[in-house]
Amino acid sequence: MSKTITLNHITKIEGHASLSLGIKNDKVTKCELSATEGSRYFEGIVKGRRYYEAHEMTSRICGVCSCAHVVAAISAVENAFGYKPSKQTKQLRELMTLGERIRSHATHLYFLALPDYVGYGSALAMAKKYRKELQNALNLMKCGNGIIKLLGARELHPVSATVGGWLKIPKEKEIENVKKTLISVREDALKTFSLFSSLNYPEFETESVMFSLVDKNKYSVLDGTFSSGNMKTTKKKYREHIKEYQVPHSNANFVTYDNYQYQVGAMARINNNKKQLHNKAKKLLNKSKIKFPSKNPYTNNFAQAVELVHCIEEAIKLCDSLNLKEEKLDKLKVKAGTGIGCIEVPRGTLWHEYTLDKKGIITNANIITPTAQNLFSVQEDIKELVPSIIKKKKKDIIMDIEKLIRSYDPCFSCSAHFLEVKWV
Amino acid sequence: MRNLYVFGNEFLEEDRKARELSSMLEGFNVVHCRSPDELLECEEDEILILDVVSGIKKPMIITDIEQIKTTKMLSLHDFDLGFFLKLMKEMGMDKKIKILGIPPSGDLKKIKEEIKVMT
Repeated sequence: MSKTITLNHITKIEGHASLSLGIKNDKVTKCELSATEGSRYFEGIVKGRRYYEAHEMTSRICGVCSCAHVVAAISAVENAFGYKPSKQTKQLRELMTLGERIRSHATHLYFLALPDYVGYGSALAMAKKYRKELQNALNLMKCGNGIIKLLGARELHPVSATVGGWLKIPKEKEIENVKKTLISVREDALKTFSLFSSLNYPEFETESVMFSLVDKNKYSVLDGTFSSGNMKTTKKKYREHIKEYQVPHSNANFVTYDNYQYQVGAMARINNNKKQLHNKAKKLLNKSKIKFPSKNPYTNNFAQAVELVHCIEEAIKLCDSLNLKEEKLDKLKVKAGTGIGCIEVPRGTLWHEYTLDKKGIITNANIITPTAQNLFSVQEDIKELVPSIIKKKKKDIIMDIEKLIRSYDPCFSCSAHFLEVKWV
Repeated sequence: MRNLYVFGNEFLEEDRKARELSSMLEGFNVVHCRSPDELLECEEDEILILDVVSGIKKPMIITDIEQIKTTKMLSLHDFDLGFFLKLMKEMGMDKKIKILGIPPSGDLKKIKEEIKVMT
């Protein structure tokens, strides 16, 4: 018996995606995950622009992770000039990045992932019954927003972070207020952890390589070498391992690591950096029934909940360690070169690479988002998953597949809706 | 002075009308909002919002948020004002909402006068 499943639009993910699945005799004959988002040409748009414009322009790739693109682009440009930012600038960048992760994880977990596990079609539908839980989410989101607003001068597309430093240094009192807010949401993060550790994640294992920045001294955000399994290498050599390629069925590139599928994001980060988690998050994780390292991509949502606890504690630590003083922007020595920015952002590792001419004009750009890196993995996981659930009802198969896709927290950068499910 | 929470993207011609109009209105403490969750900060019992409403030709007052057309929240990008207000209601947040809805186009002076009469 053969059948085709076409998920024309996959819901509760960022952007447009669809899945075409063919099954014959309980075996998958075709599995094509397509990012149907139109090409956006950001790498082309920045060509010919000045080095200090890259972060402002690429921030617009996504409102949800605009801080991520800002920091990655700045890092790449500074790397091209051989410039190292001050300790204070790095701390502010890290704090803003953590704020964005708190906001993004809280929103994804409660508004997009949780409805799957409690049997509702949307967060709005479950709002009456899960009022307290959604209040946790709102508190956490507000906290993340507050950090970004203070440091970046606005919640989206921050403007304070720039090449060579920070344009508006926050006041000590303002950081103190941020710290108070972080302390006030500790409980919300703990409740999030409890909730997501109590959910029943489908049993499934992936063969994906777990990929993230690693640093033996800390849970990497902006720095580190990078790791996949036992192999550790440097950012400079990323092109030797990471290959982007086009597939006819998708507008987004697929990406492999040494020709293997690989996974980025919270689960990969914890798999690779469990020891470097904040003690509080580590203790919770160790006591949990969900064990790490994990090979189950569904547990990525749980990993995000662990990271919420971690990020809040790390952000509090950062607030304590900041010794703020006014710093003028460093004047960079503009020269020709290529720079790579690689940082950990909510959905995984983000790459920005720019080649600049001697006047600082961008002549080439390459951006690899976490979702692009996860696409191949998601597609291969679906292939693996389907035979094990093929006896289920159609709606349950679709739910399991959608849940799997959503567990990766993909961002195709625009909304989508499930218009049609076609079975043949 | 009463707070007036103003929404709209200043970079989009049609969406920025509310921001432009707010600078012409008197008797309000104007609060420019970038994200609907800023409404969580509101202490007043009735939240007064100024925003552009597509599909209308004259200003209107909306007090029943069910009148607002929202799509399901399918991605983080759908976390808009309409969704948020409905969420606040579903969560039992005890606030009255009054939206001064203005059309995306038209003469601002005329709209201002119409708003004056309505409020």
